[in-house]
Amino acid sequence: MAGITQERELPIRNNPDLESFDIVTAYRKLLADDPDLTMPVAAIEALIEALSQSSAKTVFETMDLIKTQSARLRAAVRNPVALTHGTDLFQQYLVLSLKQPGPDGKETSSHENFEVVRQHLMRNGRLFASRAKQAREHIAAVGRAYVRDGDTVLTHGGSRVVGTLLGRAAEPVPGDPSRRFQVIHVVSEGRSAEGDRAVAALRDRGVPVATVPESAAAYVLGKLHLVSMVLVGAEAVTANGGIISRMGTYQLALLARAHGKDFYVAAEQHKFGKTFPLHQFDLGFDQDMIDFRAGEAPEEGDPEDAKNPIGDPVDYTPPEFITAFFSDNGVLTPTAVAKQVIDLMY
Amino acid sequence: MSTAQDGSLPEAIPEQAGKPDHAQAPQTNDKNTKTDATETSKPAKLSGAELKAKAKAEKAARRAQVKASKEVAKGEAAVSSAPGQLGPSAGEVKGSKAKGKQDGGATTTSGAAGRPVVSKGPVSVTPSEPKLTIPECFSHLTMAKRIPITQADKDVHPTVLALGQQMATFTIDESITRLKATLLAFKKVIDSYTTPPGNTLARHLTPHVLNPQIDYLTACRPMCFSMGNAIRWLKLQVSKIDPDVPESDAKKQLCGGIDTFIQERISMADLVITEKAAEKIQDSDVILTFGRSSIVERALIHARLINGKKFSVIVLDDPYDRKGQTLAKNLTAEGIRVTYCGDLGGLGYNLQDATSILVSAESMFNNGSMYAPSGTCDIAIAAKQLGISVIVLCETINITERVATDSLTYNEIDPERSSGESLRLLYDTTPDKYLSLVISELGSVQPTSVPDLLRKLEESN
Repeated sequence: MAGITQERELPIRNNPDLESFDIVTAYRKLLADDPDLTMPVAAIEALIEALSQSSAKTVFETMDLIKTQSARLRAAVRNPVALTHGTDLFQQYLVLSLKQPGPDGKETSSHENFEVVRQHLMRNGRLFASRAKQAREHIAAVGRAYVRDGDTVLTHGGSRVVGTLLGRAAEPVPGDPSRRFQVIHVVSEGRSAEGDRAVAALRDRGVPVATVPESAAAYVLGKLHLVSMVLVGAEAVTANGGIISRMGTYQLALLARAHGKDFYVAAEQHKFGKTFPLHQFDLGFDQDMIDFRAGEAPEEGDPEDAKNPIGDPVDYTPPEFITAFFSDNGVLTPTAVAKQVIDLMY
Repeated sequence: MSTAQDGSLPEAIPEQAGKPDHAQAPQTNDKNTKTDATETSKPAKLSGAELKAKAKAEKAARRAQVKASKEVAKGEAAVSSAPGQLGPSAGEVKGSKAKGKQDGGATTTSGAAGRPVVSKGPVSVTPSEPKLTIPECFSHLTMAKRIPITQADKDVHPTVLALGQQMATFTIDESITRLKATLLAFKKVIDSYTTPPGNTLARHLTPHVLNPQIDYLTACRPMCFSMGNAIRWLKLQVSKIDPDVPESDAKKQLCGGIDTFIQERISMADLVITEKAAEKIQDSDVILTFGRSSIVERALIHARLINGKKFSVIVLDDPYDRKGQTLAKNLTAEGIRVTYCGDLGGLGYNLQDATSILVSAESMFNNGSMYAPSGTCDIAIAAKQLGISVIVLCETINITERVATDSLTYNEIDPERSSGESLRLLYDTTPDKYLSLVISELGSVQPTSVPDLLRKLEESN
C-alpha cells in the first residue's frame, strides 16, 4: 500500500519541515532532564517531538519520517539496542492504532484515523513517559511479593526499577506489612557512582545494605542460606526472553545458576524488543572490549591501533539463566516474554 | 502413499486383479527368501526380527493360499514382473526429464500389476524382490515413484504431468521450489478450466479437477508440508468463490490470489529471510552449512556482496547427493573462501573453526523441531555441544501444525539409494533444543516460539 501512496503523492517531501529540529539533541536533552527516563521512552518522546515539529500529512509521510528519524537516532549512539526497542515499539503502536476502527466505533479510512491518532499523540506528548513511571510502580507492586521477611537480596548496578521495587518492599501497604530484608549490593570499581546512589537510597529507607566488590560475588553467593535471590534490572529485553544489561550481569546469572539461586529481572514492557542475540558478540554493535597488547605500552596518540572501549558496556544474559521477569504485565517466564514480544512486535 | 496411488490409478487396475495379487504376493515372497537364503548360504545371519517377519509372512501365505487358491498363475506373473518395473527407477540416478518419461513408457504394463509390491502393508514384509524392500517398521513411510505418464489419471493436466516427473526424479527437490512450481502449474490448470454445464466452479473445481492433479503429484512424490499448507489454502479460496460470479472473473480472482500468495509467502519471504540471515553474518565469521540450499546460498552471497562482509564458509556435503559441490563452486565464484568436505567424517574437526551453523529447514514442526535433510541433526547436536549457534532459515509456509519428536513419524524413503539390504531416509528431525534461532519472514524467533508464528499468521488472515 505504501508503494501506491508514494506513486500517487509525488513529489513527496523527503523531510517535511524538520530543518530546525535535531532528534539526537532532543533525545539527549530528554535523558539529561529527567534521570528517571529510560532510553526507549526517551526515544519515543523524541519521536513524538519530531512528529509535532513536522508537517507530515499522510500516513506514508509519517511512517517515513519515523523511520528516518529512528535511523538518525540509532546512528548517533554507540549502543542502539534499547533505543531501537523504543522506536520499534512506537512504530508498531502507530501501525496498530491506524489499523483500528475510529474512536466513534465506525470504520474509518486510515487517513481520518491517522488525524485522530496524530491529535491524540500531540495532546498527550508526555503520556509515554508518565506511563513508564507508572509501570515501574506496577512492577514494584508485583515483585514485592517475592521479597520475603528475612531474605537477603543480591543486586548490582543502579537500576531504577530494582530501586523502586526494593524501596516499595520496605514500605507497608494496606493489608501487607513491610518486609524486613537486607540487600547485598555488588559494586563495580569503575562505575560506582550509580551504585552508590542506589545504596544510599535504600539505606535511607532503613534497609541494611552491604556492598561487596564484583570479585566477591561468587564468595558471597557461596555462603549457605545467605542470599535468597538475585534481582537485577535490564537495559533491554530480547526477543527470546534474555536481557541486555550492564556488564557483569551475565556473570552474576551464571554464578546464581551455579549456586542454585533464583535470578529475577525487573523490566518494563517497553524494553521488550526484536533483538535476538545468539551470543555475547552478536549484539549488533562493537564494544571493543578485548584489546590484546604485548611488549611495551604503546605511545599515546596512535589512533590506528588504539581500541576505544565503549563507556557503558553491556552483556547478554541468555533466557535459560533467568528464573522470571517482573514486568508491568505481571510475572513472566522468559518463554512468556518471547510470546509477548511476538504478539507485540511481529 | 499406497492409498494415494490407489486413488490415482483407479482405471488402470481392475478391482479383482488387485486382491489376489495381494494375497498371492507373500507366497512368492516366501519362496524368494528361501532361495535367497540358500544361494547366499547365509541363513544364520537372519536376525530375530527378520525370522519373526519371515514366520509371519509364511503364516500369512498359508492363509492366503487357502483363501485364494485360484488365479495362482496370474498372481505369480504379476509378482515376477514387478522387479522389471521397479528396476529402472530404483537403479537409475536422476536421469533427465525425458529419460524418466521414456522409462515410464516402457514399463507401462508391468507397472500396473506390480504396484502392490511396494510395501503394501505387512504382507509384503519379506524381501520380495532384490532391489528394494521396506521393513515393516518403515512401512508407513512414503517414497517418490515414477508413474508412467500413460498411467496417470486422464484428468491430469500436461503441466502437472511434467511437474510430477520432475518431482519423481528429484529434478525439483527443495520444498519451496516444489511449492512454487506446483502453484504455478495449478494456475495453468485453473486457467484452462471450464465449468461443465450444470455445475458451479466452487463445487466442481476442487473434487474433479484439482484433486486428480494433487493425487498424481502425491503419487509421484509425497507432498511436502508447504505444499499441503498451500493446497489447503487454495481449496479454501476455491470454496469461497461466490457461485454468482462469472467463471472468467472467478478464474482471474483465483489466479490473482495464487500470484499474491507466491509473491507474499515465497518471493518476499525469501527476500526478507535472505537479508535477515545475511545480517547475522559478521566479519571473520566461519559459517558451516550442510548440502546445498538455495536460500542459504543467497544469504551467504548477500552477506558477501551487499553487506561486504569478509567471512569463510565450510560446506559439509551429503555423501549421497553432492549438491554441496555446486554451492561451494558458486560461493567461490563470489569470492568467498570455502572449505569443502564431502561427508560428515570430519564433523568434529570442521566444527572447531565454525562460528555458526546456517541451514534451511524443509519444514518446522509445531513443537519447534526441524525437518531437514538427513545429517542435519548430527551437525546440530555436535554444534550444540561446542556452544555453536545453529541458525535455521524457514519460510512460514513451511511451518506445519503437526508435531514430531523423532525422525520416523514423518520421513521419506530415498528411492534411488535404497536396496534390499539397506534403506536410506531422506530427512531427519532435529529437536528444538539443538537449534538457536529460526529466521522466518515474520521475524527471528526461538524454535519454541514457532507455534506463536503460526498463531500470528492465523490472526493476520
